Amino acid sequence: MQDTIAALDHIRRTVPEIRDELGIDPIPVRAIRDPEIYEIEKEQLFKKVWLKVATAWELPNPGDYKVKELPVADASILIVRGKDGKIRAHHNVCTHRGNKVVPNKGFETYGRARANVVTCRFHGWVFGTDGPLKSVPMEEAFGHLDKSCLGLREIACDEWEGFVFINFDPNPAQSLKDYLGDFATLFGGYPYHESTTAFRYSTVLKCNWKVAHYAFSEGYHVPTIHAGSLPGFRGIEHSDFKLIGPHASSTIYGAGMEAAPSTQVFAGVLHASDAHKPHAEQLPVHINPTRRDDFQFELPNVFPNLLIHLASGCGYPGLSYFTHQFWPLDHGTTLWEGINYFRPARNAAEYAAQVHVNALHRNAWLEDTATMEDTFTGIMSGAIDDMQLMDQEFLIRHAARTLDSYLAGGTQ
Amino acid sequence: MTTADYSRLPEGFADLETLAQIWARPTENARNVVRYAATASDFAAFHETLFPRLGALLAYLGDCPAQPETAEQRNALMLACAYAEAAPHHELYGGSSEVPFSFDAHRFVADHGDVSV
Ligand code: FES
Ligand SMILES: [Fe+2]
Repeated sequence: MQDTIAALDHIRRTVPEIRDELGIDPIPVRAIRDPEIYEIEKEQLFKKVWLKVATAWELPNPGDYKVKELPVADASILIVRGKDGKIRAHHNVCTHRGNKVVPNKGFETYGRARANVVTCRFHGWVFGTDGPLKSVPMEEAFGHLDKSCLGLREIACDEWEGFVFINFDPNPAQSLKDYLGDFATLFGGYPYHESTTAFRYSTVLKCNWKVAHYAFSEGYHVPTIHAGSLPGFRGIEHSDFKLIGPHASSTIYGAGMEAAPSTQVFAGVLHASDAHKPHAEQLPVHINPTRRDDFQFELPNVFPNLLIHLASGCGYPGLSYFTHQFWPLDHGTTLWEGINYFRPARNAAEYAAQVHVNALHRNAWLEDTATMEDTFTGIMSGAIDDMQLMDQEFLIRHAARTLDSYLAGGTQ
Repeated sequence: MTTADYSRLPEGFADLETLAQIWARPTENARNVVRYAATASDFAAFHETLFPRLGALLAYLGDCPAQPETAEQRNALMLACAYAEAAPHHELYGGSSEVPFSFDAHRFVADHGDVSV
């Protein structure tokens, strides 16, 4: 254990160190404003790096699948748990003439493949959930058909702690393990898979994906934007800065809010429960290492578009962790996804209390999302060329610099 | 439009049945319809009657499975969920059915929005 702590010492930074390393200069907004940059992001970034697209507990049984539309990679993907228990990802594209094998509604569609095959509705080609082309109606009428090379087109897919990532690069420059690097150690070991009760919200925002991403990447806005939902917020401390290759993280400490009377009653239900009470001891050892009791959550940016706020019940009552993802639909349109994860309620009172906490948090997200379209309109007006960033906004500075290095054709 | 009747509550909670008739709905989306249409005085009346009984209601629900088995249990849970979502409008948002200075709540899509308790 001591070894691991020592091994991760390099990721901890003080404010002067962060300033030293990342600078304090304003950051240009051009990467947000310029539609041509979005085209480069698609090719150089989203088609090259590992992207979280699912969780293992969304697909508990062999045959369970999820279709996810990813316009940022011009792709529809089929993520499915095979008969062997392994989760794979394929292009949701029939190798006959290109139809979608599994039709979908909206950006995410779930289903279960019967008999571990999926069948294209256009002409009935049948594929195994692990990819191979199994059968073709009137096969002899094709003259010659080499079925062995007509399986679904596979996409690199790997898991970390039950989070399923894909990489569109046919030969990814790094394995998922290498891409996550010390982030995987920092956040590893938490029982994510136990928190299977998920409340997921999404919306399509008229803004560039980075505007949405950056708005959720800092705590500077909390006392102002959340004056309604987090009244009397008694200070927020953003510290324990960590730089981890393309990823970065920091801790939000704070005395929290003056909970309303109803919140106190609902929180009482969750805090009295072993499953839902604050579990600082379950936090990985490098997160809140001194086990401060005003720990709220850890806020990392898993480059490029994932935030995992790990709370372990310490911040919002009963909330195990929550994630945000930001999927570009085009230069000025973004699909935002926010998911609150709880451990399953063991009785109806715990469930009602979770509904309350979820509603409070959803309301805070409504306050967050209120700024994004206005911010984008402002940036598109050309009135400002730079954003001014303070210390608590260092995740933005770091993400913007990392993005620049990808746009320039490199990686971190 | 007629709505199903979710007002019948377990023994000992008859005083909350009028509130249940107004607020109790099985899904988040259905409860949102009621919540969006509520006025400051609706929220105040809900809070003033229910809050003093919240401890008793949650104590009852603490003995019910997370997925209720009887209609009375379900109705009680629906009422508790409706209050869980409505209370902030009275306690934090000055009786507004919207979160002040926020994004249009109608544009948020909840995956679980049509899942019944
Ligand atoms: S396109 Fe799929 S079977 Fe023809
Ligand atoms: Fe926020």
